[in-house]
Amino acid sequence: MAIIPWRGRTLPVATLASLREEMNDLLARFWSHTSEPFGLAEWSPALDVSETDDTVLVHAEIPGIDPKELDIAVVGDTLTIRGEKKDETEREGRNFHRVERRYGAFTRSLRLPAPVDAEQVTAKAAGGVLEIRLPKKEGAKAKRIEIKSD
Amino acid sequence: MAKPIDVAVETNHDPLEPPESYFVPATDVYETADELTLVAEMPGIKPDGLAVTVEDNVLVIRGRPGAKSEAGGEVLLQEFTAGEFYRAFQLPADYDTEKIEAGLRQGVLTLRLPKSERLKPRRIEVKVD
Repeated sequence: MAIIPWRGRTLPVATLASLREEMNDLLARFWSHTSEPFGLAEWSPALDVSETDDTVLVHAEIPGIDPKELDIAVVGDTLTIRGEKKDETEREGRNFHRVERRYGAFTRSLRLPAPVDAEQVTAKAAGGVLEIRLPKKEGAKAKRIEIKSD
Repeated sequence: MAKPIDVAVETNHDPLEPPESYFVPATDVYETADELTLVAEMPGIKPDGLAVTVEDNVLVIRGRPGAKSEAGGEVLLQEFTAGEFYRAFQLPADYDTEKIEAGLRQGVLTLRLPKSERLKPRRIEVKVD
């Protein structure tokens, strides 16, 4: 092995940053089997929320859940999704090698970023993803003001 | 308890190229006398975005969730796992890979791999005089 002279250089910031990124990535992958350490926590759905000028859009990951068994409510400025991910796996006569899927009753509440018209809220589910569309109230919609120029 | 046959060991050896970055779907694996079943949670996966392959006895599941509507808005919360689902399992040679059945329902993929006759447990009759 060749001896490399130490020139007293400090590590470039970019190297440290990429090292840190790699470590984070590694840890994220390590935990990705169960999003909570050791599977202690009960399952609850991951949510994506986005907002456009006139709508708040909520997506929830609900693999294996019958959408009919979900309870979605809007009260004031809060959206609540309630349900239960039931373990319907038959155990009898089966030899389990891996059990990674998690189950449980859950409630997720979100404060909405703008007042919504509760009557107009729609929800649909496909392929294990729930989509809730919440139209904003008239007064809450973003208005673009046109700038007149001569 | 009898030691189960060493089935579906997770592997890094993928005859195909694994994706650069991916998400590992939560998967249950269980075995009956006749078949091996894998149940993987892959929310947002559509059948045309899913590929299940077996090569060199390596079973590979990969899929890309379909695009969600109206991605153009301002993102307020992002908990979904972005990117591709990917997982590879090494199978013993004794599965009839021609007869694998795959079903996708509510974002849950179920794969059923029938055992070849050789792998099924046999009861040895003891004859009594």
